[in-house]
Amino acid sequence: MTDQANLLAQFSNALAARAEAAKNAVVAIRLAHGRHMTGMVWRSEIVIASEQSLPRKDDFELVAAGGAVLTAKIAGRDPSTNIAVLRLAESIASPSISAGEAHTGAIALAIGADGTGGVSARLGLVNLAGAEWHSSRGGLIDRRIVLDISLARREEGGPVFDAAGACLGMSTFGPRGQVIAIPTATIERIVPLLLKDGRVARGWLGVALQAVAVPDALRETADQSSGLMVMSVVEGGPAARAGILAGDIILSVDGTSTHRFRNIARNFGSGSIGRKADLRLIRSGTVITVQATIAERPADE
Amino acid sequence: MSDAAGKLSPLGRLRVAVHAVDLLRRTALSQVVAEAGHVVVGAQDTADVVLVDGDCPPGEARPVVTLGGADHDLPGVLSRDAGASQIDAAIRAVSAGLIVRTPDAIDAGFGAMRETDRHALLTPRELEVLAAIAEGMTNKAIARRLNISLHTVKFHVESVFRKLGARTRTEAVAKASERRRYETITL
Repeated sequence: MTDQANLLAQFSNALAARAEAAKNAVVAIRLAHGRHMTGMVWRSEIVIASEQSLPRKDDFELVAAGGAVLTAKIAGRDPSTNIAVLRLAESIASPSISAGEAHTGAIALAIGADGTGGVSARLGLVNLAGAEWHSSRGGLIDRRIVLDISLARREEGGPVFDAAGACLGMSTFGPRGQVIAIPTATIERIVPLLLKDGRVARGWLGVALQAVAVPDALRETADQSSGLMVMSVVEGGPAARAGILAGDIILSVDGTSTHRFRNIARNFGSGSIGRKADLRLIRSGTVITVQATIAERPADE
Repeated sequence: MSDAAGKLSPLGRLRVAVHAVDLLRRTALSQVVAEAGHVVVGAQDTADVVLVDGDCPPGEARPVVTLGGADHDLPGVLSRDAGASQIDAAIRAVSAGLIVRTPDAIDAGFGAMRETDRHALLTPRELEVLAAIAEGMTNKAIARRLNISLHTVKFHVESVFRKLGARTRTEAVAKASERRRYETITL
């Protein structure tokens, strides 16, 4: 009985110590109406936040560990991976972050900023650790990490630690209030790009597409059962210049079938800009190939 | 209960400031507010609620109902194309200290790219039939427009219903528009 009580006390004390140690890992990002959200201290002058929840402005006021109020400027944002980077006007103490590997069923400790220089803590499990995935905005997320943790809006954007104290990622909200983590590996990949250019450059054709079934009569010629129909073409964009029309059904891009869109998303990374792409498509009942030069996606697209 | 009710003015009129960068939009929203029986006041006047088109101006201290703004911590968050009855209901609720959200906002969040179930994909012809249904056309009219037989139109309509899981033409149009919203890819 005493042994069990000791174990439980040890477990509890260890968690409390972890929460205390995470003080330097978060800042509160002040929002309007006395509210705040959480930022994750990445380097001594760099803070990461959840892009979807960060107001669209340039200057922010942060509350660091102990209550010091700091100013920060937006350094870049990437909606495709939900990562925003803030650069602090002055350096602060920063924790050393080591990337942890998420395992389904493992303990996860999510830390938020309390708004006055302290932390709030949430304990749960890694509900699901899965493979890489593509966001609806086309970004590649290195792992699917779903957390069995409830999170307040003000805690979104804080670090999630595993039992060894390694960082699994940044907490954020998925659809229907699901709490997920943007993996540390994704943050490590995106932050340098954002610090350099303020955005993550992505390839762009200037079309809106919808998956359609290839009509029965054309299945054999097309050699696939579905494609992406062009619903609209951005005026003056790469697709428009290549003569692509609304109603065309794109079957493949550089030989990669459009049968699953996530396969195509890979072909439009920052390295694709300026490259010529061969688009195989159905137009008025025949299969033709059109070449388009991939441009950089404008900021407002 | 009766005390609280007694504090409302007899007509339930509220003072509403309307903020929209676009002048036409401001005029339209002011009209919606006025037709709902409220008083539109100037931007800086004392107001019970501020109705904001898009993002809220910095430093706004009054209760805000936003139409399509990015700040989801505001008391009232509606979509940009919210109708008059939603706007009126949100203004009243927020002025009474309540929080207003649409089911869409609850569904929001950083999610995965949705891929349509392969068996439920519509063909280009079915999309044409659906577009005609959305315009309110009858099967006969659709047959004339697409230059196909009435029998073929019925065949396409049935296939569209089956693929979308719809029982009526209205439901088919609604489901297709939802699918278009969530599954359109910009590249």
